[in-house]
Amino acid sequence: MRISHRRNLALLGIVAVMLASTLLFLYLKSNSNQTTTYAESRDLIGRIKQLNAQWETEILKARIAISHNYDPLVTPLTEMTDLWQRFDTMESSHGRNDSPTWRASHDAYQKTLQEKTRLVEQFKSHNAVLRNSLAFLPTAEDDIQEQLAQLVDGDKLQLQNIATDTYDLLLSSLEFAQVTSDDKAADILLGLSKLAVNKERLPEQFHSPIDVLSNHISLILREQPVVNRLLQNIEAIPVSERLDDITHLLNTDQQRADAVDQRYHFYMLVFSVLLVLLLVYLAIHLMRSFTVIQRVNKALQTANDDLELRVEERTRELKDTQSELLDTARQAGMAEIATNVLHNVGNVLNSVNISADLVSRKLRASKAQGLGKAMQLINGHPGDLGTFLTQDEKGKLLPGYLNQLVDAIALEQQGMTEELAQLSKSVDHIKDIVATQQSYAGANNLMEPLHISELLEDALRMNAGALTRHHVKVIKEYSEVPQVMGDKHRLLLILINLISNAKYAMSDLGNRPRQMTLGVKIIEDSILQVSVKDDGEGIAEENMTRIFAHGFTTRKEGHGFGLHSCALAAIEMNGHLTAHSDGPGKGALFTLQIPLKTVPEPA
Amino acid sequence: MSPFFHRLILVPLFGLCLSAGAAPLDEPLKPLPTAPKQNPLRVELGRQLFNEPRLSVNGSISCASCHQLDNGGADKLAFSIGFAGLPVAVNTPSVFNASLNFRQFWNGRADTLEAQIHEVVQSPSEMGSNWQHVVQTLSADPAYQASFANAYPDGVTMTNVQNALATYERTLLSNNSRFDQYLLGDTDILTREEKYGYQRFKEYGCIACHQGVNIGGNMFQKFGVMGDYFQVRGQLVESDLGRYLVTRDEEDRNVFKVPSLRNVAVTAPYFHDGSARTLEEAVDVMFKFQLGRIPSTEDKTLIIKFLKTLTGEWGGKPL
Repeated sequence: MRISHRRNLALLGIVAVMLASTLLFLYLKSNSNQTTTYAESRDLIGRIKQLNAQWETEILKARIAISHNYDPLVTPLTEMTDLWQRFDTMESSHGRNDSPTWRASHDAYQKTLQEKTRLVEQFKSHNAVLRNSLAFLPTAEDDIQEQLAQLVDGDKLQLQNIATDTYDLLLSSLEFAQVTSDDKAADILLGLSKLAVNKERLPEQFHSPIDVLSNHISLILREQPVVNRLLQNIEAIPVSERLDDITHLLNTDQQRADAVDQRYHFYMLVFSVLLVLLLVYLAIHLMRSFTVIQRVNKALQTANDDLELRVEERTRELKDTQSELLDTARQAGMAEIATNVLHNVGNVLNSVNISADLVSRKLRASKAQGLGKAMQLINGHPGDLGTFLTQDEKGKLLPGYLNQLVDAIALEQQGMTEELAQLSKSVDHIKDIVATQQSYAGANNLMEPLHISELLEDALRMNAGALTRHHVKVIKEYSEVPQVMGDKHRLLLILINLISNAKYAMSDLGNRPRQMTLGVKIIEDSILQVSVKDDGEGIAEENMTRIFAHGFTTRKEGHGFGLHSCALAAIEMNGHLTAHSDGPGKGALFTLQIPLKTVPEPA
Repeated sequence: MSPFFHRLILVPLFGLCLSAGAAPLDEPLKPLPTAPKQNPLRVELGRQLFNEPRLSVNGSISCASCHQLDNGGADKLAFSIGFAGLPVAVNTPSVFNASLNFRQFWNGRADTLEAQIHEVVQSPSEMGSNWQHVVQTLSADPAYQASFANAYPDGVTMTNVQNALATYERTLLSNNSRFDQYLLGDTDILTREEKYGYQRFKEYGCIACHQGVNIGGNMFQKFGVMGDYFQVRGQLVESDLGRYLVTRDEEDRNVFKVPSLRNVAVTAPYFHDGSARTLEEAVDVMFKFQLGRIPSTEDKTLIIKFLKTLTGEWGGKPL
């Protein structure tokens, strides 16, 4: 499953790459940069052609002596060379120079251009001197005519003829410059001969100007045909045609490239159509999958709703259970409190029980019964009471007996009164316990002045029955402790519990003497410490941490509230209860420490 | 500092007034353009190379040995002395404004400054070196290596050495000659005689060849249009054949590039053979063999006065 999934992914990737590369290939093929260079190349060739035309215009301008500046005949060539170089670089970067047709057309252009340059250079040289001589002709002729006019002596007619000849020669030369024909050339040659002849007839001073004139005319006669021929040749140089050839080649190439482009455009179109079809197919597929997904989704939604409903139901159930539990807990709490109360009350009831037991035993063994017997004796002697009392053996003892009885009853009465007082004290304690437990939550410490030793005595008394039963010897190590402010009930609760625990701890000692040590002392003037020490079964190491936990007990009939409530009570009094044992069988020491609050003694 | 500063401000202001006040004259002679913008790193490198004797095979001469900028861009010799202590074949033309000539060398055999440099370095009578040696020598110098690396992506190459030199030479324009100022519209800057000289220069037909921005340097011409100069001079040598040596065309026998007349007053001796030691001699030769005319002494003086206005400036000083 996993492998096939991976294979599918790979296949998809390959297909995507193939499609992308095909598209790229077609795009590149249909978009060759030849088109861009084509425009630029044509532009360059066009500009070269334009410069060529401009060059020719400048040549003609120089020909008719409009301009004396030959720079314009140089610059077009320079620019043409530059442009050609750019064109050549562009084309060669295109690889066109490899094609022989291109090579040939390039060479043809360059050859014609070279030829034209050569001819233009020659034209410049020849034209310059020709124009110069032509411009000079009238002046040169004037120089002669002026001197002729100054000649006063001599043959007037001959002078006239010489002047006419010279003038004719000038005219012929100027005409020759316009219409260069053999006739005119013959005319000039004739004129030059005449001038040579005339020169001999004229005085020495004429020789130099005539020589200058004839030299310049000879130059015109020589140079004008050369210039004309050069111009014709320049005109015949097919630079423009060669450029047209290149343009034509460019066009053909471009057409071919266009055709290729078009073909690839078509391919691209076909490919695009295929891709679109594929996309449509995929879209249909996707839509189908989407429907399935939706269906599954709906089912899931339903299931989800169902689940939610069930969860809600469960939640409700749980809530119910929780409230039930809460109730149970509350009840349990109440039960715990009740247990606590009952435990404490039970402890006190012990004392009540002892007291009641004592009173009833005293009553049972009361000497008051002796009074009844005495009264029987008296009633048996109604008439002779006096005699009986004085004479009778028994009667004589009666008053003494009665007196003893009075004493005994008085003693009995006193003991019972004491025991009853103890009883009512215990009842008060029970009342206190109940009252405290009733206001358990918000119970403020009920502080009252008390003697800690009295409290210990009370506690001992409450356990007195058991202590005597178990023959426990109590050792009291009380140091000097003033009257303190304390929560009597909580302290008593703790002390009763600790004494009771100590007593229980020593219950299994067999016949060994049992000894319990109670200690009271003040530590550093701020802490009141009460300790209860036994030499009983001790506490196992592993139980050390648990003994204060709620519900912990080692006794069969124990419920595990005693020490827990003691520890709580200690904490409620801002103190603490600690236990120490050297191990099982080595006894235990419980220490209660609470802050010492002495009662300010009245001054 | 203050007066100098004022002058600094005044110069362009003055120029502004001029251009606003007087339009440039439309003449067959044109004022020099301002030097084209060049890569300053390459210009500086070119300047160093221009003064670098290690371009010659034995380290004896640099470009500046013959083309002395404080000497009109040439030397005062008819034939400069090459690396081996022997004179070269033709007179050294000025390097100033050389970039404006349509070809280089007297016979125009180089189309570009680069081609001209290419030949001079290898010429057995001039620097006698070869490019491999030059590139090697320069590459061995860390300073050059750094300069080249800064100025060119591919460091020290033959093409770059030539380009740097040509770039520098393109900045060597002797602007601000009095005649150029005149052409730019400051018509009062020339004296009456100088203006007459210019008039004669045109009338006698000097202008037929010496025209354009470089007052020459834009065409070839036969030396001896109106008479056989070489026969008169005698002692023919090969270099007298001129352009014929390049084209082997009979038409080009004794044909030379028309030299520029800029700074002509400070670049004696004259002609390819250095035969004319003074401007007067040169003008005489020109009249006799090129123009075929006999000028008056006064006209000749005027023309020479005009020619002296063509001296431009370099580094803020007249040449």
